[in-house]
Amino acid sequence: MKSKNYSENIIKVFKKYGFALSEPDVLLDSNYIIQRSGENFKKLMLTFENDSGKKMCLRPDLTIAACVKYLEEKANKKSKIYYSGQAYRRSNSRKESIINNQAGIEIIGSKKKKQDDKEIISTILKSIEKTKIKNISVYIGDVSLFKQLIESLKMPERWRLRLIRHFWRPGYFEDLLNRLETNSDINPVAFDFDKKKFLEMKKINQKHEIAGRSISEILNRFDKKIRDPRSFVDGKNIAKIIREFLKISCPIYQMEEKLNNFFNKHNIKKKLIKNTLPIKSLLRSDYKIIFSTNFGRDIEYYTGLVFEIWALKNKQEIARGGRYDSLLKSLGSSQNIPAVGAAINLNNLHTAK
Amino acid sequence: MKNIIIIGIPSKGRLKENSINFLEKDNLKLTSKGGDRNYFASFSSLPNVQIVYLHAREIIERLGDGTLDFGISGLDLLEESPKNLQKKIEKLKKLDFGVADLVVAVPDDWIDVQTVADLEEVSFYFRDKKNQRLRVATKYPNLTNKFFSTKGITQYKLISSLGATEVYPFTGSSEIITDITSTGDTLKANNLRILKDGSILKSSAYFLRSKKSRKYSNKNKIIKLFLNN
Repeated sequence: MKSKNYSENIIKVFKKYGFALSEPDVLLDSNYIIQRSGENFKKLMLTFENDSGKKMCLRPDLTIAACVKYLEEKANKKSKIYYSGQAYRRSNSRKESIINNQAGIEIIGSKKKKQDDKEIISTILKSIEKTKIKNISVYIGDVSLFKQLIESLKMPERWRLRLIRHFWRPGYFEDLLNRLETNSDINPVAFDFDKKKFLEMKKINQKHEIAGRSISEILNRFDKKIRDPRSFVDGKNIAKIIREFLKISCPIYQMEEKLNNFFNKHNIKKKLIKNTLPIKSLLRSDYKIIFSTNFGRDIEYYTGLVFEIWALKNKQEIARGGRYDSLLKSLGSSQNIPAVGAAINLNNLHTAK
Repeated sequence: MKNIIIIGIPSKGRLKENSINFLEKDNLKLTSKGGDRNYFASFSSLPNVQIVYLHAREIIERLGDGTLDFGISGLDLLEESPKNLQKKIEKLKKLDFGVADLVVAVPDDWIDVQTVADLEEVSFYFRDKKNQRLRVATKYPNLTNKFFSTKGITQYKLISSLGATEVYPFTGSSEIITDITSTGDTLKANNLRILKDGSILKSSAYFLRSKKSRKYSNKNKIIKLFLNN
């Protein structure tokens, strides 16, 4: 089957389940994306300057482009869309193509999260069925489980936030765990000196700003750091629990049991898992589905469900998706907007037959 | 040029003086120390060698394209240059002058920020509470990006600076900086403090060679003259 036929068949399924065509812009304001996603993302983007000196980029990702469009339209209501088009990203490996042909769906601005999650996965699975590719495996996880685990462990707030923030960078995350196991945060000698300065600074105008930060902001953070030290023993234990958690990987029908065992062993409140696991409905599926806690860690914007579908024949990812409730806020919305979506990688699909 | 050997050395300041000292030997003196309008010099006993006085950044570029055979410049400038340029340049010898560190510096009054981990936290605060990126002024965007990404700092925006980077945080142009410093005095005088683990690169001057020059045997010979001291 040619790739054009693939995408036609896939789109038929999207339409059948009520997704409406959306055509996100190909060119985006590059500063707008860097301002919101940081310099690190910039490396992946294909940018150029237009005549007036404004930096533009080719859309690096259709989910982001679709969200930008949603915000521009100011619809403020549920939007259930599909798109088919190209995303453009630099790549370090020569094997990977810069141009990615994708067909995807998104549900933005709907509060029925579980139902939407389920609808996204089942629509994607049904459209892959239409391509007649057999032998696929599905990996599934929920990144909010990790967040809830961290919130239930006893540690200084700044370490909690730090671990949650860097869940997305497995390499650096491992550094953090190593640090948590070893040294302590505060150097006593430097601390005495700073404390003196702290008292001096208390006396000046608290609203005065130094390089964009008010005195009160600086002193508050300093104070918090002192009051909330971390014990060496706790750190070691926390790192151990996190490592153990990230090793959980099993067929989906064992998920609940494995998680229960883990939570019991470490005396963690079990109500945690009740609210997650939107994926239970997949238990009845015919596919081989693997649940994993250490997964979905390369795209920062996911906040809940994450999944990937792999073709066994060419060992390539043919679809991926997840929930990203905070992406729209980081793209400029005044508050979080619930959103979930997924895209099929047509390049890889083509070689998977 | 096959027969002429061209060596680039910095055209200003202490780097220039030290480079001249490095090249000159008892029996080998330069004809010119490079005045206001004179950018060339030579050794009377080595007619095939030509010295060109250039900007230290320019030396890296010209070694890359092979118009210079040899040159003296800073490791910081070499490492900052694009990868495909670096590939064309060979490091022959680390020199004992031009010693300086590329560092991350924050306003001294940010007493809560002592380490890169603190900075990382503050950068998220800027994003979440102020809806801005922490701005980092620098003359070294590539090295800064590389360093920050290994330290988990992602929420920032680079502001490119051409000079006097140390005043940027106090003129509202950036919040923090990365800059090259030998003693740290300039930073201190401008109320900036180096983070404890904020050393990006330990730099010094290097004697460098364009890989293109390797194919000429006469150029290989001459180099021994300068390296054996």
